[in-house]
This record gives sequence, structure tokens and C-alpha cells, in this order.
Amino acid sequence: MLIEAISEQLLKAMGVGVALVNAGDLKIRFTNPTFCEWFGQSHNGSSIGDVFESLNVEALRETLSKTGQYTLETRVKKKRRILIIELAFREAVHEGGDIIVVECQNISRVREMESMLDSYAHMVERKTRDLELEKEQVEKLLLNIMPRSVYEEFKTFGVVTPQLYEPVSVLMLDFVGFTSMAASADPTVTVGELNDIFSSFDRIAEQFGCERIKTLGDAYLAVSGLPHPNIDHARAVTNSAVRFARYLQRRNQSHQHQWQCRIGLASGAVVGSVVGVQKYVYDVFGPAVNLATRLQVLSEPMEITVHGDMAAELADEFQLIDGGKQDVRGFGKQQIYKISI
Amino acid sequence: MPQSIYEKYGGFSAISRIVLDFYDKALDSDEIGDFFDDVDMNRLVDHQTKFIAYLTGGPADYTETRLKQVHAHLGIKDDHFDEMKRLLADSLSEHGMTGEDVGAVLDAIEQRRNVIVV
Repeated sequence: MLIEAISEQLLKAMGVGVALVNAGDLKIRFTNPTFCEWFGQSHNGSSIGDVFESLNVEALRETLSKTGQYTLETRVKKKRRILIIELAFREAVHEGGDIIVVECQNISRVREMESMLDSYAHMVERKTRDLELEKEQVEKLLLNIMPRSVYEEFKTFGVVTPQLYEPVSVLMLDFVGFTSMAASADPTVTVGELNDIFSSFDRIAEQFGCERIKTLGDAYLAVSGLPHPNIDHARAVTNSAVRFARYLQRRNQSHQHQWQCRIGLASGAVVGSVVGVQKYVYDVFGPAVNLATRLQVLSEPMEITVHGDMAAELADEFQLIDGGKQDVRGFGKQQIYKISI
Repeated sequence: MPQSIYEKYGGFSAISRIVLDFYDKALDSDEIGDFFDDVDMNRLVDHQTKFIAYLTGGPADYTETRLKQVHAHLGIKDDHFDEMKRLLADSLSEHGMTGEDVGAVLDAIEQRRNVIVV
């Protein structure tokens, strides 16, 4: 078999569309079956410009003479599918004359893949944004139950090392007759009001440099001097305590439910840590917490009770009323003072 | 969280093959191919990628309202819907999905029959 015949058979068997065109008059000399399948039969003798309407003949000639190659993308509809065909025109020599070889590649699948990747990228970007938002929500929730520096440690290491904070001051508040109030009134209303009050306490505490650690039922625990040391910790909790009581006094004037609190304040050491694995809370433990709890019990309604050591720090700024020596469980006899609201 | 079908078969790289295969089958189908006639290729591929990702528990969110919107003007009947399910089932099985998982995907699509069929 002649080389020529082999070449022609090869061209016919290819999945790539091929046409051979005279370089001079741009008339088509040969088309292979794939070309015909895409662009129709019997082109021999007609001009390449007639087959591809979007082909700019001048541009083709100019670019070919400069670079030897020209490309064009065209679309043909085969049954329901629009095929995207890339045409590459190249100069060649055949039987002593200049010809142009037109090579046609079906790049539909490439385009389909590209558009699928776009689609996927959009989905993922959107999901990522949603996740970011969710993460912020979770972060916000966690920051409600633990100080930021503790949260950062928790996020980085997955655990929080219990840490001793000293000196700090603890504020413990409890409401008078909350249990009977919750039982007698509509509980949802009571809890709604409690939520209002605690939210206000949070704002006041923050303003005076205290950190609310937790609420437990109607009890409210705040600390100053944690996680960052605060030399004014005793004054910070006392200022908060006085404002809590004043806030309640004012609120009671315009509300049906009368909220009365007892507050205990104590200075000393606490250990702060995250407790639990699945259901974790940030909590504080230690003598200052226990003493504040005991002193709170010693308070009459709307009273603030403080122990002697701490009272010394407050004498300049607050009016202290001598409460005498009282037996405080676990702490022996303690000189106590009441702080005037 | 239990693993989704999307993750089980290797995420997007596996799902993309199923999508392209289903896309070919749908276009070539004499029963439902005409619905895709003259539809912009980008839009169609985009829709099918997201839809199949959505059915298999991938990273796409499709609301039923959106599904209703894109199919409302097409006049799809139960027969068409059944054919589409059959083609999708073929694509899923041919790409190595177990019968159980194919069933789960088909169930998921069946639940949307009333928003796609008019």
C-alpha cells in the first residue's frame, strides 16, 4: 500500500475532524468522516469560509502568515447536544502546493467539566461561608460560658489547665423567695424576668470589670481578677453589688414582681477550669467562692455582706456597717460588715 | 454524624463521573431528552451537579421551592420522572454504588416527585 493511501485511511479513521484546504483560494480538497459528521457532507470544491460562517478569512490569512497557526471555536448541534468544536488551522505543503490543514477537536466534555468544576466551587464556597458563620455562633456561645483567654487555650489545646487565680474577689447573689415566686406565678413569666435581670447584671458587671462565671437557678456568680489580674478586684465586685441592688430597687418600683436579693462578697483564691468533656462548663472553685456563698446566706434581703479582710480595702469608698463577729461555717468566727446601698 | 453517600464513594471526584454519565444518558434518552434540548449546557451541568450532590448528601442545598421553580414550566409527567429515575439508577449502579445506596438515592428523589412533576 502506498504511503499516501495509508495516510488517507488514517485520516478517515480518526476521531478528530480533518479538512485539507488550498492555501490560495481556500477551497476544500479533502474532509474525513468525522469532519463530515459534524459539519455535513460534500464540501469538496466549496470554500472553507462557507462552511464556518464565523470564520474571518482575512484574519485567518494574516495570522497564518505571521504565526503559522490560527484557532477558532465553533458550535454545532448534533441531535440535542450542542458540540463545542475547536478548529486549528495550520500551514502545510502537499504535492508541491501550499495547503491548510484544519484540525477539529470536540472539546464539549472539557467545557462540561469546566462548568461542573465551577458549580462545585460555588457549592463549596457557599458551604465554607455557612460553616464560618456557624463557627462564629459556636464561638459566641462558648465565650458566654468562659473567658476569652480560657477559650483560646481550649481551642488550641482541646483542654484547659486548671489555674489558680489569687487574689480575686467573688460576688454571690441569690434571690429571696424565688422558689415560691416561681411556683405561684406563671413560671415562664418568672424566668423571663430573671433573664432580663441577669442580662442587666451582665452589663453592670462588665462595666465594672467583673466576669460573670455562671448562673445556677436564681443564683448569680461573678468574679473580678480573672482571667486577668485586677488590683481593684474588691472594689469592682462591690461596685457591681451596689449597682445590682440599686437596679432591683428601681425596677421594683415599676414592676409587679418584687425581686429581693442577698449578696455575699469575699476576696481570696479561686481555681478556674473547664469541667466536663461533652457538656463542659467553665467554673471556679475555692475558699473565696465558699466564703462568698456563706456570707450571702448571712445577708438580709437587699443586703450586701462582706468579711473583715475585704472590708479594709473598701473603707475609703463605701459606707460599712459593723455586723459584729459571726460564725461562718468552714471559716470560724469572722468579723463581718454590711455595705450600705 | 453518619457518613453520607457522597462521602462514602469518594466525594466530588466520584460524583462528577456519575453526573456526566447521567447527563449523557438524559440527553440521549428518547423519552426525556427533549426536555434538555436548547438548554444552556452550563446551566444544565450546574443543575445536575448540585442536584446529585444534594441527593447524595453532598455540599449542596436545594430547597423544594427552588426545585419547583426550575421544573415548573417544563410540564414533566410521571412517566418522564420514572424514566429519569431509571437513568439515574443505571448511572449510579454502573459507577459501583451498592443496591442499598442506589435505593436510598432513589427514595430521596421520589420524595421530590410532587415538586418536579406537574
